[in-house]
Amino acid sequence: MSKHKYLTILPVAILIVSCVWAQSARAPELPAGPMQAKATTACAECHEPRIILQQRLGKAAWTREVDKMVKWGAVVAPQDREALIDYFSTNFGVDQKDYVPDRSVSAGGKKATK
Amino acid sequence: MISRRNFLRTASAAALVGSAAYPLAAWAPDDSSLVIPGKEGLIVRSYRFLDLETPVEYFNTWLTPSGHFFVRNHMHEPSTLDPAEWKLSISGEVDKPYTLTLAELSRVEKHSVVNTLECAGNGRAYHSPKVPGIQWRKGAVGTARFSGPRLRALLERAAVKPTGKHVMFRGLDEVPGKVPPFIRSIPIEKATDADTLVATHMNSAALPQHHGFPARALVPGWIGAASCKWLTEIKVLEREFEGNFMSPGYRMPNQPLQPGDAVKPEDTHPVTVLNVKSLICSPSDGANLKSRILDIQGVAWAGESDIIRVEVSADGGASWQTARLAGDHARYAWRIWNFKWKAPSSGDFVIAARATDSQGHTQPFAPVWNPSGYLNNAIDQVRVHVQA
Repeated sequence: MSKHKYLTILPVAILIVSCVWAQSARAPELPAGPMQAKATTACAECHEPRIILQQRLGKAAWTREVDKMVKWGAVVAPQDREALIDYFSTNFGVDQKDYVPDRSVSAGGKKATK
Repeated sequence: MISRRNFLRTASAAALVGSAAYPLAAWAPDDSSLVIPGKEGLIVRSYRFLDLETPVEYFNTWLTPSGHFFVRNHMHEPSTLDPAEWKLSISGEVDKPYTLTLAELSRVEKHSVVNTLECAGNGRAYHSPKVPGIQWRKGAVGTARFSGPRLRALLERAAVKPTGKHVMFRGLDEVPGKVPPFIRSIPIEKATDADTLVATHMNSAALPQHHGFPARALVPGWIGAASCKWLTEIKVLEREFEGNFMSPGYRMPNQPLQPGDAVKPEDTHPVTVLNVKSLICSPSDGANLKSRILDIQGVAWAGESDIIRVEVSADGGASWQTARLAGDHARYAWRIWNFKWKAPSSGDFVIAARATDSQGHTQPFAPVWNPSGYLNNAIDQVRVHVQA
């Protein structure tokens, strides 16, 4: 293959790879645990997990947040309320290290970065 | 014969309404990517609903390009919005309620205001103990030239009754679940100020979708939440609007609290005007510097007041030196400032900046703690290591 052809194909290949890369940047998930699925279901109708992942709150504050969200439409069975508060308090408590956010990309040609 | 002025107004209206570039089906977030058209390199505090923070190193111009401007949404953006069908109603405590199409709104005389818009929760992440909410650090702020009809011109046409004391804004935000709608109000005095707008343009272009296309309130010098986006209803009320985003949302305690204290709603007041604040935009926190001579650059703003002084300290606040206020100046806009600093030696330093406004207010060393983390204007600091 001539040098000229390489120069033609290479940028196209980079573009394709980087598009796939950007498109495959997955939304973060809530951490594993017995309440992961129920927390995801309860919260995801209104917002994605980042809003939770960035919080660092004590149990009293998590209790207020869960009760507020139930009032605002989050579906949480009464028997799951306490476990859900514990799940958030454990995973997003005041002693957890800071959440590192993503950066946006304006089009599909660049990799999302931390 | 059509005058040049009328021609320009007509052309502007046509461009806004008939903008073929604006899709009827608006951008909708796809959780599997971080693609946000027109928003490159912003910090994604939330993707759905959208909350984007500007990295402070982007604040190197007086006007923040719209592509770098922070986005604060409380709920989802309108999923479809047809400019040809959009209407703005003006009603309530008025003698002549009416409705405007976008073409009609575009023919009302425009006024421009360069305004520093800041989210009330900017800096929330630095409160201790931590408080719930979007964990903004420094960049939920930006400065843009907003243009559109004066709100008071629209209100005058409606003939506000003497009973009209507050003006309520409702946008087309899409409300998920049973979340209360994002509706807020401002006092009639601010609503009829000559600089309060129904903005249709930002930095000389039609408002981008994320910033409230086709029209938003622009309440200069006040917290960003006052400037409701995707505006569709203006209603004059006898009193402050009663809703979640007026109370308990967006209120400050009447008396100072100890960090972690709760406050009763009756002991609070609405958050309105922004306070005095400055940011160090360069060097960045943690910078490793090869020269002892350093150009420190930042921005400072003070809501409805003027910045009269910015000072820099590199010795923990023991001594302060005055920075130079540079560049453009407008009533509600931040000032760019800079300061040439010579490090006395190699080693680690903490550089701090504090601003003072025309009311005599100076930034505090620590955030004034409140349960929602509003109006954190604590002195900004960056750590640097000087190698030379």
